[in-house]
Amino acid sequence: MNYFPDEVIEHIFDFISSHKDRNSISLVSKSWHKIERCSRKSVFIGNCYAINPERLIQRFPSLRSLTLKGKPHFADFNLVPHEWGGFVHPWIVALAKARVELEELRLKRMVVSDESLELLSRSFASFKSLVLVSCEGFTTDGLASVAANCRHLRELDLQENEIDDHRGQWLNCFPESSTALTSLNFSCLKGETNLAALERLVARSPNLESLKVNRAVPLDALTRLMSCAPQLVDLGVGSYENEPDQESFMKLMAAIKKCTELRSLSGFSEVAPLCLTAFYPICQNLTSLNLSYAAEIQGNHLIRFIQFCKRLQRLWILDSIGDKGLEVVASTCKELQELRVFPSDLHDEEDNDTAVTEIGLVAISAGCPKLHSILYFCKQMTNAALITVAKNCPNFIRFRLCILEPNKPDHTTSQSLDEGFGAIVQACKGLRRLSLSGLLTDKVFLYIGMYAEQLEMLSIAFAGDTDKGMLYVLNGCKKMRKLEIRDSPFGNTALLADVDKYRTMRSLWMSSCEVTLGGCKRLARNAPWLNVEIINENENNDLMMERNEEDEREKVDRLYLYRTVVGARKDAPPCVTIL
Amino acid sequence: MEGCPRNKETYPKLLDLIPQGRQWYQEEKNNTDQEKKLELRLAPPGGDEEGRSAINRKITEIRNSNIKKEAEDKSIFNLSGNHSSPSNKTTFAPHISHKRTAPGPVVGWPPVRSFRKNLASTSSSKLGNESSLGGQVNKSGDGEKQVKPSKREGMFVKINMDSVPIGRKVDLDACSCYEQLSFAVDKLFRGLLAAQRDTSGGEGEEKPIIGLLDGNGEFTLTYEDNEGDKMLVGDVPWDMFISSVKRLRVIKSSEISSALRFGCSKQQKMRT
Repeated sequence: MNYFPDEVIEHIFDFISSHKDRNSISLVSKSWHKIERCSRKSVFIGNCYAINPERLIQRFPSLRSLTLKGKPHFADFNLVPHEWGGFVHPWIVALAKARVELEELRLKRMVVSDESLELLSRSFASFKSLVLVSCEGFTTDGLASVAANCRHLRELDLQENEIDDHRGQWLNCFPESSTALTSLNFSCLKGETNLAALERLVARSPNLESLKVNRAVPLDALTRLMSCAPQLVDLGVGSYENEPDQESFMKLMAAIKKCTELRSLSGFSEVAPLCLTAFYPICQNLTSLNLSYAAEIQGNHLIRFIQFCKRLQRLWILDSIGDKGLEVVASTCKELQELRVFPSDLHDEEDNDTAVTEIGLVAISAGCPKLHSILYFCKQMTNAALITVAKNCPNFIRFRLCILEPNKPDHTTSQSLDEGFGAIVQACKGLRRLSLSGLLTDKVFLYIGMYAEQLEMLSIAFAGDTDKGMLYVLNGCKKMRKLEIRDSPFGNTALLADVDKYRTMRSLWMSSCEVTLGGCKRLARNAPWLNVEIINENENNDLMMERNEEDEREKVDRLYLYRTVVGARKDAPPCVTIL
Repeated sequence: MEGCPRNKETYPKLLDLIPQGRQWYQEEKNNTDQEKKLELRLAPPGGDEEGRSAINRKITEIRNSNIKKEAEDKSIFNLSGNHSSPSNKTTFAPHISHKRTAPGPVVGWPPVRSFRKNLASTSSSKLGNESSLGGQVNKSGDGEKQVKPSKREGMFVKINMDSVPIGRKVDLDACSCYEQLSFAVDKLFRGLLAAQRDTSGGEGEEKPIIGLLDGNGEFTLTYEDNEGDKMLVGDVPWDMFISSVKRLRVIKSSEISSALRFGCSKQQKMRT
């Protein structure tokens, strides 16, 4: 059947890197399946409990790069208990045992221990890249072992992890000779940093392109770092509460001017306005700017800064920029592709009149023709604005709108926002991710089911009236992969209507909805290829087993179900029951 | 996939609920107290003369309410949507989860990562703030419970300043006397004030904010206590101040008498 020898086919497959495409290739024929799997270097596993490490290794013996995701997305918002699961240790143990030549490990929302990191660092001689996003369970001791033992380490990227900072000397543990580091990000570490060790490390890392330091790196240290690494492309700075004196400021600006390759800037957990101005010389080169941790910067300073950033493609900012600020962004940043506007003031509802509204969103949509991804937190929205946005920007791939107050209607008409979101899904034919908020009835789901043909991920909160809402989505969105719902009146009817639908999805999350224990049990019986997890922090397993039949009607607090080929997991904590 | 959308309303007319409500009520075996409050009877529990109109108003209230946290809301809508499907007769079982029967801070809302929540304000951690919608369930494992605003663990109160549109928060726990509070206020607002005053586009000159407590400075510090009275800061012993202060305001010294008499916060809001 194959006209070419296997090596030739394998070589052709080398050009195909997308996971989706490689998965498709493997379905063509037995021989293609074999060639593909033996040559596959990089595997992405969206749910670490859908498969186990042994089967992974069996299928892909040449594995070099593994991406794993653990906890469901709503774990980011404290809806999943700490001890739920997502442990990487068994994976590392299995990979080590099988002598896989692992080079790259990327984890998201997983539990990582120092022991895991130690084992990792000792088991894979060519290990090059460790990327941990929103993980927890380890300390700087674990980092020390990675630094010490991974002699070819190129990338150590720690994004928003919960790390116990033992303030040890982990930065001293890198090899004394020049390192292969291209990327070092420890911005999430909360403790003090050994500045001398950091400066020495940067000095002996000639290939360093991305450096993101933590809050504890003061201005003069930053200046020295930049001076010895003018080749930096991506810089994350620390916290600069106090205005620098004249001399420090001049030195900083001089160092910054030399960083002509700098394209991406982040950090700034606090920054005095003068510090920000030191970066003006490189603004026009920036393609990515993240000022979303800088709660103290006033809108006018932000605006002055952004006015120079004409090449910006990605902007993460706080809502203190205001509508006026977004208008400036709209007129300045014509290359903008991704915008995230985060809430700056989560507790003081009435004090801030300067936060963004629907006006800013419309301005952005009108001014930035390349915009395809948006995450927007605001206090108010209108259907008219959303309809205008849809008309201006039919190219959205990701549209996430979060109106801070649950169930808030259109503030000019007091109606639901069904029509606004309906316009978005109708116009944006390529929409893959959508998050809803505000007052919404079943109608918005009817629209989503009808029009959102490419939708893969949908986040619903405080929305809908009846099971019909959820049914519209399950029936209509053929490409749905991840559906997460909270505080919405969807129950057993919707859950059980089409059990086979869940074969085509990665996972479903429902919390504070109307599904009952009986409904979940029925689902679990009808779909043995699903893990149906009930999470109940208030009770433990024993109590649940003792209850009588009446409790079939009891509402389930949190339901998380996902397809799997390896059955119920063995590491579930007491608060999780797998039906 | 659904066909053409129906033209009629997808949610029920509220008045239609009442006759159905009577049937539903008879089926129900276990009423909790909350459910009893909203029983759809023609004779309301209070026993006054309003009768049907009170019930209608109450239903309209629920319908228009922005916070759909009460279980009763959901049951009314479920009833109308699902009354034809037998499996949903049981949807009105008594709720176990407390957070759905009582309104209050919503766990995990707004959907902002903990990491970001901790950075998103002047404080390092906020627990149980009185106006909080984003109240975090304790996850840090260090055993701090939900804190009432007047307790001693990081006591943050709002503080506003005349002519500055942005409010801040000050940690009174970090101050042990009025002088320290005065310094803290200076630190919080010096830059903001300069930015407000800067009209020429250059950097505003920053002057320290002094004389907050003695009436000598351009500004004076005032506060609102737990009884709603507005007072000058500094008159009572520090401990007494701490136990009664609810929010702070920095006002122009020239406007002291009018501010304290007429309720300054509302006035100032209208002007800015």
